[in-house]
Amino acid sequence: MTENKFSKLSKNYKLSISNPKFFDAVKMFISILIALAITFVILCLVSSDPVNAIITILTGPLTKTRYIGAVIESFIPYAFAGLAAGVLFSAGAFNLGAEGIYILSGAVVTAIAINPVSTSPVLHPVLCFLGAMAFGGIMMILPSFLKAKFGTNEMVVSLMLNSIYAGIAAYVVRTFLGTLKRGGNSSKDYLATARIGYLYEPLRISACFIVLIAVTIILYLVMKKSRLGYQIRLAGTNPRFAEYSGISAFKLAISTAAIAGVLSGMGAATALLTQTSFYTPSQSLVGIGFSGMLLSMLGRNNPIGIIIAAFMIKYLEQGTAILYFVDKSVPSEIVAVVEGIVIMLISSQHFLRKFREKQLLKEGLEEHVE
Amino acid sequence: MKETILKLEKVTKVYPNGTVANRDINMEFEKGEIHSVVGENGAGKSTLMKMIFGIEKPSSGTITYKGEETHFNSSMDAIHAGIGMVHQHFMLIPSFSIVDNIILGEEPTKSIFIDKKEAAKRCQELSDKYDFELDVTAKVSTLSVAKRQKVEILKTLYRNAELIILDEPTSVLTPQETEKLFDQLRFFKEQGHTIIFISHKLEEVKQISDKISVIRNGVSKGTYLNSELTMEQLTNLIIGRDLDNDMDEYKTHEDFHNEKALEIHDLYMERNGKPVLNNVSFAVKRGEILGVAGVEGNGQQELVKCITGLEETRYTGDINICDKTVNDLKIRGRREIGMAYIPEDRMVDGVAGELPISDNLISTYYTREDINGKLFMDAKAIAKMSDELIKTFAVKTKNARAAVNSLSGGNVQKVVVAREYNTNSTFMIAEQPTHGIDIGSAEFVHHKLIEMRNKGAGILLVSADLNEVMDLSDRIIVMFNGKIAGYFPNANKVDENELGMYMLGAKHQSAEEIGGALND
Amino acid sequence: MWSSVFSTLFTMRFLQAIIRLATPIVFAALGAFTAASTGIGNIAIESIMTFSALAGVLGSYLFNNAWLGVICGLAIGILTALLITFFSMKLGADAFLIMIALNTFADSVAIFILYQLTGDKGTTASLATPILYTLDIPIIKDIPILGEILSGQYILTYICWLLVIIMFIVIYKTPLGMRMRACGLNADAAKTAGINVERLQVLSLVLSGVFAALGGVYLSLNYLKIFSKGMVSGQGWMGVAANGISNGNYWTLILSGVIFAVFRAVSIIFSSNSAFPTDLVGAIPYFSVFVILTAASIINYYRIKRGKIEEH
Repeated sequence: MTENKFSKLSKNYKLSISNPKFFDAVKMFISILIALAITFVILCLVSSDPVNAIITILTGPLTKTRYIGAVIESFIPYAFAGLAAGVLFSAGAFNLGAEGIYILSGAVVTAIAINPVSTSPVLHPVLCFLGAMAFGGIMMILPSFLKAKFGTNEMVVSLMLNSIYAGIAAYVVRTFLGTLKRGGNSSKDYLATARIGYLYEPLRISACFIVLIAVTIILYLVMKKSRLGYQIRLAGTNPRFAEYSGISAFKLAISTAAIAGVLSGMGAATALLTQTSFYTPSQSLVGIGFSGMLLSMLGRNNPIGIIIAAFMIKYLEQGTAILYFVDKSVPSEIVAVVEGIVIMLISSQHFLRKFREKQLLKEGLEEHVE
Repeated sequence: MKETILKLEKVTKVYPNGTVANRDINMEFEKGEIHSVVGENGAGKSTLMKMIFGIEKPSSGTITYKGEETHFNSSMDAIHAGIGMVHQHFMLIPSFSIVDNIILGEEPTKSIFIDKKEAAKRCQELSDKYDFELDVTAKVSTLSVAKRQKVEILKTLYRNAELIILDEPTSVLTPQETEKLFDQLRFFKEQGHTIIFISHKLEEVKQISDKISVIRNGVSKGTYLNSELTMEQLTNLIIGRDLDNDMDEYKTHEDFHNEKALEIHDLYMERNGKPVLNNVSFAVKRGEILGVAGVEGNGQQELVKCITGLEETRYTGDINICDKTVNDLKIRGRREIGMAYIPEDRMVDGVAGELPISDNLISTYYTREDINGKLFMDAKAIAKMSDELIKTFAVKTKNARAAVNSLSGGNVQKVVVAREYNTNSTFMIAEQPTHGIDIGSAEFVHHKLIEMRNKGAGILLVSADLNEVMDLSDRIIVMFNGKIAGYFPNANKVDENELGMYMLGAKHQSAEEIGGALND
Repeated sequence: MWSSVFSTLFTMRFLQAIIRLATPIVFAALGAFTAASTGIGNIAIESIMTFSALAGVLGSYLFNNAWLGVICGLAIGILTALLITFFSMKLGADAFLIMIALNTFADSVAIFILYQLTGDKGTTASLATPILYTLDIPIIKDIPILGEILSGQYILTYICWLLVIIMFIVIYKTPLGMRMRACGLNADAAKTAGINVERLQVLSLVLSGVFAALGGVYLSLNYLKIFSKGMVSGQGWMGVAANGISNGNYWTLILSGVIFAVFRAVSIIFSSNSAFPTDLVGAIPYFSVFVILTAASIINYYRIKRGKIEEH
């Protein structure tokens, strides 16, 4: 009996293509290889020295501490956006509003950061965070509320709100928070107390990094082990079944949107309080919310996968930025190409499926022989 | 000597996931006969028909139609060759008119446009010729089930089908409607059509067929002349063992009869300004199964919706579960009071297919203390409970982490029933609990329902399968046109044809008699 | 300040502007509707418009012929549609995710290509590109008022309205259209009637790509006459929104598209007057879509709730 149990155990955990998790990992790895191969082909077309170009992209960031530091600092807001999108996608919600929330809560961060609300260098940034989180959480709910209550197309609504929020943020910054110093589009400088310093300067590790890691772990536990995570899983795979089981789709839609909004608000605060000293709505945070969706797809909605993906993408972008110094023919947008290819391949269920089916069939036959 | 119209030789179908649906099937169909193909659910009848109709391709073997080997790439090819199929689930577009449904794919045209006039004319002629009594300009959404079936048959006739496959055509009909259908089938036969009749209702098969072919576990068990085969022989051929039919030993438990699991007073609901539920009153007592019979679309679905609170419904009247008024509660509140629910469409409402079995086994009570820790859910307790349930309900799977998608229909249903059983509820709604699953699983589900009843649960059984209602129920109500048309306090003493009369609205009991459904 | 706005609101030029602005939105709406008719939600309209707008300009520059540019734009639109069907139908990817991904990196990819070919990350202004022309319609142009509005529009605008009529006939009067609608309403029923559902869905997505592409090349070869970063600015989404509002009703679809164009025109008028805050005025079209789409869904919700109409 015990022997039987043991063999069963080993069978479940063996590294075989028939193990879905291992298969996913293999698929991810092959997808990345293919994406890099295609990137290399593109580099051959555009660059005079493609071999050097790809080596620089892949290893460049490792050559100097400050390069890695730049990656660490810049990936944090993107990681938050990825986490936000991950929560929404897991729940089956296509609320694409993180972009607008970033830009709008940027204005909230700015409003708090340029005013002497506190003289404490700890409390002031905390207040900025709290303001952005509360505001982001509330504003993110709107598209999800309309969808859950009236069935409004949340994708279109959230995209329209992105543009509307961008307009509002620009207006608010220009009218109430701005200074003529920078052409009227930007805010006044943040007070020194609001800015977040480094804990370890060479690698540009700040409290934001710690916060990100903590949030990721909490989120991971919530998604995998908590009742809320279970509800999200159910609603994300079959909303009707969730409803049938007594899980209120409405409440769930609201709470996941709120969580995503809070995460977006945090992301906006991390970006503004570490990387800049003022806010320009048309530039500072543009594109982060959208990138978050791609990161979530890359990380397969798994919080840990998402922050790894965010780090990798920022790493590649840093690599292309380094390459750009020597080879102007390759702009940083090439990372988007890599990203796109990997996303399309890993979300393709049939990709490599034949290979796996063969293996499954073989194992199935073996089992019958037993 | 009659001519052979269709011949199957060594037809085998293996699906990519390794399932062998049909193996080396040999069968021959002659022109102008009514030829039944019988077998359990999941025996491989449907796959075989799909291959004949070009929806699936055989993995090996040959299908010869009118002397020529067929290589159908789609149902289009089969239709052109003269084969028509009436599917069990109607393949109609409700918002289209009858005409549009009939001509779809074979539209008469005038230059590049659809010739609507010509189409209507042809369809009406066809309907009149076979005495179908249809106004072909009507929208399909306004038609009764029996009429929709006629539209399906007209579709095949419009395409000049010589061979018509009918897949479980009587499953949605009353005995009287079935009789009428059979008359029409005989008429088709006289006209030279060949009919392949798929069914698991053996009495009907005996009644209508010239020949009978049996499939068991994907393998052909031979073709027989109807006249040469007794009912017992047929049953044996189909299941290879005797059916466990002695459910009677469980019947009637009087211990809980004072308590009511469900009580409904004057339930009324409208749609499009018409009543779909009209003054429905009845009660389900603890320790009994109340069966609801009726032709599909006579208010049963709405009744279930009102009781479960799954969707927002606007009704008047009172629904009490376990003596508590639940009118203002949604499904969650009703479940907390003590309601369990086996939904009609298990893949849509009953499970999340991509999630593991264990996740699916706890969804309706995931907050319960025994599977939760302080902060998080108790994964160990869940795993242990899942393993136990899988064992008790004989769910065929490798382990509890396997996705529900990987299970057969019968096993998925067992997962659903296991979960609802495990809620220990006082009241249970079972909506088409054995629809489309194999006999083994169906029997198992029936036994579990009876076990629940014997433990004191009150069960409301809503089923289109009249035999199921009659076999399981203690009392029966019949719904017609949103009303209770008949009430039968003693399910043992009900005659099938009698029920059929009520299902069709040909008979109606007095208010006093029906009142028994609530007050008995 | 209001008087100057009102004085422009009811002029010929305003009506002309609406027709000009409606063209890309109506193209996008046609694209969304065509795909939806077979049951496919094409949310990649925005990105297809971006790709085609760029391809149109580059093609026109390369072959020194605007119409060849249009053909390049169409080719890219069709290719993108086929790419989506390849991933979703052949490789089993979630079409929604593929399309969201496409939309999200459309701008980056367009900029990458733009940069490679022109060395500029913003616009194709540096390329000398032949563009499409406007068209005077012989008799109509001499009719007062009407002639001013209807004549002298861009050539693709006329094509757009021609296609509106053609598509209505195709979808509601021909066998092809009936089969397409059947696929959208009940794919299984269509399949058993002998219709190749998958092929029709690919066809409808390709057609959808064609319409989106026309919207794109209209922007870059007719209306703005260059490609610039972010030029589609949500017009593809307005088409998707119009489809959502239409609820399957063709003329509601077209009307919604035109209404969105009215708000774009209003927004442009306001923004030309410095008395109004430009940031907010620029958001008017998006706000109008938001309000109209939300209102439509709320009305629909209550109609279903009151039992006036069936769901779906």
